[in-house]
Amino acid sequence: MSGHRLPRGGFIDRSRRLAFRFDGKVLEGHPGDTLASALIANGVTLVGRSFKYHRPRGILTAGPEEPNALVELGEEGRTEPNTKATEVELFDGLVARSQNRWPSLAFDLGAVNGLAGKMISAGFYYKTFMWPAAFWEKVYEPLIRRAAGLGRATYAPDPDVYEAMNDHCDVLVVGGGPAGFATARAAGSAGARVILCERESLLGGGLLLDPALEGWRSDMIAALEAIPEVTILKRTNVFGYYDHNCLGAVEKLSDGPLGEGEIRQRYHVIRPKQVVLATGATERLIAFPDNDRPGVMMAGAALVYLRRFGVAPGRRAVVFTNNDSAYAAARALKDAGLERVAVVDARGKGQEAGGLDVRLACEVMGFDGRRVALHRRGGGGNAEAIEADLLCVSGGWNPNVDLASQSGAKTAWGAELACPIPGVPVQAERSAGAARGVFGIGAAARDGLAAGREAARLAGFPTDADFPLPKDDPPALALVPLWEVRGRGKSFVDLQHDVTTDDIRLAHREGFSHIEHAKRYTTHNMATDQGKIGGLVGAAILAEARGERPEAVGLPTFRPYTAPVAFGAFAGRATGDRFEPIRRTALHDWHVGHDAVMQRAGAWMRPFYYPKAGEDAWTAILREARMVRSGVGVCDVSTLGKIDLQGPDAVVFLDRLYANTMSTLPVGRARYGLMLREDGIVFDDGTVTRLGPEHFLVTTTTGEAEAVLEHMEFHAQTVWPELDLQFCSVTDEWAQMSVAGPRSRDTLTKAVAGLALSNASFPFVAAGEGTIGEVPVRLFRISFSGELAYEVAAPSGFAEQIWEAILRAGREFGIAPYGLEAMDVLRIEKGHPAGQELGGFTTAADLGLGRLVKKSGDFVGRILAGRPALIDPRRPRLTGIRPVDKAQRLRGGAHLVAEPGSLDSLGHVTSVTRSVELEQWIGLALLEEAESWRDKRVWAVSPLHEERVEVVVTSPCFVDPENARVRA
Amino acid sequence: MSAPERLALAVAERPRSLVHLMARKDKANALAAAIKTAFGLGLPPQGRWAAGREVDAIWIQPDGWLLESEPAAPGALCARVAVATEGLGAVVDQSSGRSVIRFAGAPARSVLATCGRLDLHPRAFGPGSAAMTRLAHVACGIRLVDAAPSFDLIVGSTYARWLIEELLEASARYGVRFEPAPKPNRSAMPDSGPP
Repeated sequence: MSGHRLPRGGFIDRSRRLAFRFDGKVLEGHPGDTLASALIANGVTLVGRSFKYHRPRGILTAGPEEPNALVELGEEGRTEPNTKATEVELFDGLVARSQNRWPSLAFDLGAVNGLAGKMISAGFYYKTFMWPAAFWEKVYEPLIRRAAGLGRATYAPDPDVYEAMNDHCDVLVVGGGPAGFATARAAGSAGARVILCERESLLGGGLLLDPALEGWRSDMIAALEAIPEVTILKRTNVFGYYDHNCLGAVEKLSDGPLGEGEIRQRYHVIRPKQVVLATGATERLIAFPDNDRPGVMMAGAALVYLRRFGVAPGRRAVVFTNNDSAYAAARALKDAGLERVAVVDARGKGQEAGGLDVRLACEVMGFDGRRVALHRRGGGGNAEAIEADLLCVSGGWNPNVDLASQSGAKTAWGAELACPIPGVPVQAERSAGAARGVFGIGAAARDGLAAGREAARLAGFPTDADFPLPKDDPPALALVPLWEVRGRGKSFVDLQHDVTTDDIRLAHREGFSHIEHAKRYTTHNMATDQGKIGGLVGAAILAEARGERPEAVGLPTFRPYTAPVAFGAFAGRATGDRFEPIRRTALHDWHVGHDAVMQRAGAWMRPFYYPKAGEDAWTAILREARMVRSGVGVCDVSTLGKIDLQGPDAVVFLDRLYANTMSTLPVGRARYGLMLREDGIVFDDGTVTRLGPEHFLVTTTTGEAEAVLEHMEFHAQTVWPELDLQFCSVTDEWAQMSVAGPRSRDTLTKAVAGLALSNASFPFVAAGEGTIGEVPVRLFRISFSGELAYEVAAPSGFAEQIWEAILRAGREFGIAPYGLEAMDVLRIEKGHPAGQELGGFTTAADLGLGRLVKKSGDFVGRILAGRPALIDPRRPRLTGIRPVDKAQRLRGGAHLVAEPGSLDSLGHVTSVTRSVELEQWIGLALLEEAESWRDKRVWAVSPLHEERVEVVVTSPCFVDPENARVRA
Repeated sequence: MSAPERLALAVAERPRSLVHLMARKDKANALAAAIKTAFGLGLPPQGRWAAGREVDAIWIQPDGWLLESEPAAPGALCARVAVATEGLGAVVDQSSGRSVIRFAGAPARSVLATCGRLDLHPRAFGPGSAAMTRLAHVACGIRLVDAAPSFDLIVGSTYARWLIEELLEASARYGVRFEPAPKPNRSAMPDSGPP
């Protein structure tokens, strides 16, 4: 309990207090704090238990690389597990819980794993829980998951609002430190559109750690804010770099309570012309025994807590380093008034001590939270123990190359820094400042200025922009690579997944020597921090075991995301009812106003049936179907795909697209049409109407309307570009109404003017134009129900008037609207194939439509339709079935078998309904040897439902097989 | 200031007469000349729209345009265009097939950035610009009408309500006003008495 708030300093507002809860305990912090800084200020040292050994862990870092301080935030639908306390801005009322401890953080039963740690090495699970195999899923895995596992996801819906948006700019700058500032200002002052993304709530990066630089920081912010085409996005992490210079980012607008209409997070898809990655660097760990104890902290993080948050993370500190950067932390600790600050420098020569207690050529070999054990490198001299509650570590700095690597640029090896640096760009990107190994505020800013000029020039804004930059730091002494201090005890390379140096060596001994194999065998780098602090250390230890240099081993591939992203952010507003577009016909409001039961069918909202008071679904559906068979009904069929096709070569085009002939179709007539896919399977069916010599209307099924249009576009643009034809969708232009039943002619004769509808003048499949009121309409005498029927098409802006005019005209004949369900009853009775039969697996012959297919002339699908398997006479063919026992029902999907217990399926049931014609259940099915089974009995079985129904095989057409009614 | 004036955005349905015009093969120049003669309007190139005295033309596909005018009797504009372009192009009435939605107000670009991926910055999409794109997951034409900015969004009429709802929701935090289209004139319908 040695962390404490300093009396002054930092970017926090000491005049205001924020109360928050951590594991039920109420604590206080200030605006400007993160959860981590507030916990340290409250003296909290233990924040979590480790993944495998349940070792106690404290806050190690001050950023997204944090492996230990993972907390569960919020409650119920707002629960967010695995949140890094270092990334959470404190707000009043914040509730956070530590994770992976049971029953409590301080007393954790799982810690016994640590005692048995010798047994639970890398690959332990794979080796131990292998047998018996059946136990894995039911016994071992749930046990392991409960014992290991991170936080718990919630099942409750997320109540918050997210937004997704698209951004475009000339130059995207990732990172708002000195390099990013200079880049953005150079490009912005050149006139380029600039977006600057900064992960944190405060701009400045390393500038926030030196009070002397505050003037330059605020000047730069003011300068950037004064340029209209510079957009600054704070709290915005760029998480992925994709092809075509497209990047993804998430802007965290608020972790706290939201006001009405406020947004939690905003997902940005950014398409810049040029990208400058000024993403800085991350300090790396050194492996030594017990380097995971609470009280161990990265040296740079200690500096952040002191300077940015006014918090001292301990009272007596040892700083263990192999490079110069940690001296700044040591000096800051001393300035903050710590009782003691000792520097343990592994190098033979250190920086000017400036009153610091420096031990050169020494290394830390253990820490128990109270004492740091050290000895001289190479083992000479006596071991020494220094009392300390804070052990700061710096193993050097790795440029944050994640995004550069994701962009496709292979990383190079920076020998001086002993780590990967960005490689030669393959997309329009460059790195600047610490992100490419240029360290020091002044040098990074200068590098950013150059990068900004270059990016602006390439984006079309040449510039020699210049402005004052901070002075360069004095030259630093060389870093001496130091990966591991070997000793007794666990030395961690991946704290979040509890991977030790011994695990890496074990992986090598067992043959997993490739970095990608070692990663998967040990789970090194696979935690939510993605090995940001220890990844390279593990690789170096693997290299040593292989007897090679670290650069020969390399790092595993960098992949998105650089940090976890909430699914809600990706979804944006597209959740619930707004998940996908809803299409409404022009008669939608009429249906709703007349109590239709509306349902989604694909994108469309469609009326399924129109129940009268007291009617259940089947009663209404059967009433509507009977009405069509005996009188007249009207149905909204506007959803049918409609394509207007014109041009001198339109008729040639149709002959090639359809399996049947269209060129013989006279003007003023419609014809059923069958389209095949290139592979010979039926694609879609519909009608073609010849409106004029070179003018056709093509209709498609509702479900395939877009696909047919695309099919036509493909063939017109790429296969037969020499043809002169033009087409476009008119699905939305025409509202279409099916008027069906023996009294349909009587109805329309009353309603339609300008078109004689007698059987002689307007026979079956005739098409013509007339008016209803003053509205021009098209009539098609086609039938899906098997009754005398017409389809009336009207410009959809007049749909309601036309619909109501038809209802008025038919009132004396008992007209009423019928829905999709009654339409299905009618078409199954008539044996018309629909979606269930045209499911992408049937041929024309399977559907009984083989006679339509033309014998001469080429068409799409002709060649492959002749494949042996597609012309096999044993293929299942469309047939009708009805239960022998009229009281029994049928089930779609049931298999047809010869005997009730047979396991040899002869086919399956595709569509079922209750026939109004037969007063019993009927079905359509695809049945092998259908002709020889005709009028015989088979069994429709559904073993899942323990159902077996004896059925008679019939013609698929249950109604008027001579087609007399449609021609009446 | 009264309440409605504080609303930064407006979504309005605009009833229009619309005609989809596609040139016959190799007839685009002759078609443009015919339109110029009949309507005094040059057919715009890709990515542009052009204003005429009574008819505007919006590029919507290679050798294809949407002609737009004040609402007229059903089929009237279509018939005029067909006469003027006989043998040179395909003419299809879309007055009911497409809905024109006017979306206007200072934050309009920010809202549209949440609905689609086109760059609508004035430098990229200046006066006279038009494009075919996707907004709120549906195919949509868009043109910049004025510097307010006002955009006309042209969408399949069966998707119009969906797009309007998306725009209203995305605009809510700026304050938005919705102006539905006036109800179509029913007096054009005889036979409105009881049968």
